[in-house]
Amino acid sequence: MSTARTTDRLRALAATAALLLTGVAALAGCTKSEDGGSPSDGSSGGEQVVASSSPSGEGCTLEKYGAPKLDLTDAIVGFSQSEKEANPFRIAETQSIRDEAEKVGVKKLLVTNAQSQLSKQISDIQDMLAQGAQFLIVAPLNSDGLEPALQAAAAKKVPVLTIDRKINATACSDYLAFLGSDFVEQGKRAADAMVKATGGTGKVAILLGSSGNNVTTDRTNGFVQQLAATAPGMEIVAQQTGEFARDKGQAVMEQLISSNPEITAVYAENDEMALGAVTALKTAGKKPGTDVKIVSIDGTRNAVQAIVDGSINAVIESNPRFGPLAFATAADFYAGTAVQPAIIISDRAYDSANAAAELSSTY
Amino acid sequence: MITDSVAVPTTVRPGRATRAERLASLSQRHGALTMLALALIAASVTFESFATAENLAGIAIQSSFVAVIALGMTFVIIGGGIDLSVGAVFALAGVLAAFGSRWGPVTALLLPLGAGALIGLVQGVLIARTGMAPFIVTLAGLLAARGLMLALTTEGAETPLVPRGSGFLGLGRGVFLGLGVPVWIAIVLCGLGAVLLRRTRYGQFLFAVGGNEDAAGLMGVPVTRVKVVTYALSGLLAALAGMLNAARLGSGVTILGVGMELDVIAAVVIGGTLLVGGAGAVGGTVCGVLILGVIQNVVNQIGTLTSSVQSVVSGAFLVVAVVAQTYLSRAGRAR
Repeated sequence: MSTARTTDRLRALAATAALLLTGVAALAGCTKSEDGGSPSDGSSGGEQVVASSSPSGEGCTLEKYGAPKLDLTDAIVGFSQSEKEANPFRIAETQSIRDEAEKVGVKKLLVTNAQSQLSKQISDIQDMLAQGAQFLIVAPLNSDGLEPALQAAAAKKVPVLTIDRKINATACSDYLAFLGSDFVEQGKRAADAMVKATGGTGKVAILLGSSGNNVTTDRTNGFVQQLAATAPGMEIVAQQTGEFARDKGQAVMEQLISSNPEITAVYAENDEMALGAVTALKTAGKKPGTDVKIVSIDGTRNAVQAIVDGSINAVIESNPRFGPLAFATAADFYAGTAVQPAIIISDRAYDSANAAAELSSTY
Repeated sequence: MITDSVAVPTTVRPGRATRAERLASLSQRHGALTMLALALIAASVTFESFATAENLAGIAIQSSFVAVIALGMTFVIIGGGIDLSVGAVFALAGVLAAFGSRWGPVTALLLPLGAGALIGLVQGVLIARTGMAPFIVTLAGLLAARGLMLALTTEGAETPLVPRGSGFLGLGRGVFLGLGVPVWIAIVLCGLGAVLLRRTRYGQFLFAVGGNEDAAGLMGVPVTRVKVVTYALSGLLAALAGMLNAARLGSGVTILGVGMELDVIAAVVIGGTLLVGGAGAVGGTVCGVLILGVIQNVVNQIGTLTSSVQSVVSGAFLVVAVVAQTYLSRAGRAR
């Protein structure tokens, strides 16, 4: 009996340990390491500016979309965030929506977070609709797969404004409009900054973002095309995904320097991976920013500080402060103005010339 | 290795269970049911938009996919195993279903189901024949299924779409008597699963294998066959859930299913199925799945929490649910 008990207990222990292990592994996978260095005061300048509204067509009006008229100050607005607020971009984005909702004085703002799970984003949106949300701002996790949520919103005639990532659907029927950066343009500007930093020669490694979304694809294509067009002396020697995370960026960079010691430049598709690469280069005894030039995209406070410190050469901004523009777009829409299907914001660029001065307006 | 027949649980002979044992097994299921009822009542009282038909139908459809997978996982865990591959199979099946739908609904059905059953079958054979740990074999299965899915979609960059107007979409989006088709499918399957577990020889064998494999083998239970069938069933059900989900989304989304196996295992355990095998019930699992669904919904009902606080709140609710459930089960077992 006692042996049987002991074995049972051992099996229970083993099973629990196994479960815990998977849990820890999953947690480690999810947690995008962020040492929280940057306090996100969404109000300190850096407001979004519209660069261009898509010119074609006459835009989307209330009648065309078939939505009822609404006074925003008397409305329940829902915001569906895609990823955990564990990196500066998401922190600043959510904060900006919250701040502006308060400023506009909406009756109630519902905030959900899909924690990188698409099924959760769909249920989040449906939950908010069930709670009576009358206008939805959605930061889509993925370009495809939100159809059931969009249909649920359409069935209740609730307009959906998507921000930062585009979805593969029809503007003004499946969703109202898209508000965000031109990621191809960001990639091109990063290539220009890279040429400026390196003088147009060298071997570049690219730290790619997560696969399966248009941000990665666009930032890669823009960079590769522009580099091929303007700097024939630059060669791309490696492309590997760092999944937009600092620890992954560091790990990939460590492997790359040992396998390709001749790398002279790194293009990181977000700041977190660039900061990981800085650590990896330092560990390997190289001087980031000098021996190996680094250009990245996002414009977080930590990365711009790294420009000031000399370890990153240039950063192209991707402005996450969608609140003011999102609510302004909503107000325009309800005031009867036609809303363009894609509203592209202009992003700033940081290098050693302006980093110190602009540091206070970063996020 | 250990052939101690004393450890054979009484569930091997359900006909001769004593009253106290029946009570224990009842409360094991009803612990989860009680928790679910409490959660539903508390949420209805606190949030006026909770107990609406729309919201409850939403929870039902969100839970239906997890429930179908958790059904297979219940079998696997009762049999003393674990299946970590279900989330990856779920995602792979969705991609295959959307991919296959271009040739019509029949391919959209058969392609993912075949692949899921095959993956489960191979895992089952490896576990049963070679004696390798289910944890490792199905972890390998997870990596293989996810790798295959990424290979099919060029590293996840391409999302196969279900053609608009395809009859296949009805499987995921159709509504019958106020509930989505996937909900009805989950209800029917769980009903069948409960019968399979309680009223058939296979079910009895499964409890015996999970209780004490060696003893079961000595008693003439076809251990290998039971295990192979169980893992094949788990793979099939995970694939079915993935396929239904693809029909709902209208596309084979590549980022699905990551970490889903943990939610599923959690639901099964909350439902009172013992992680060491040999005891468990489908009804409890359904309650476990719904408890998780309600917790997620309640976090959204609060509506103003930041993501980190949301995680903390979900975790806290989960702990309360598990502690209460365990306590209720113990109280039942204490004669």
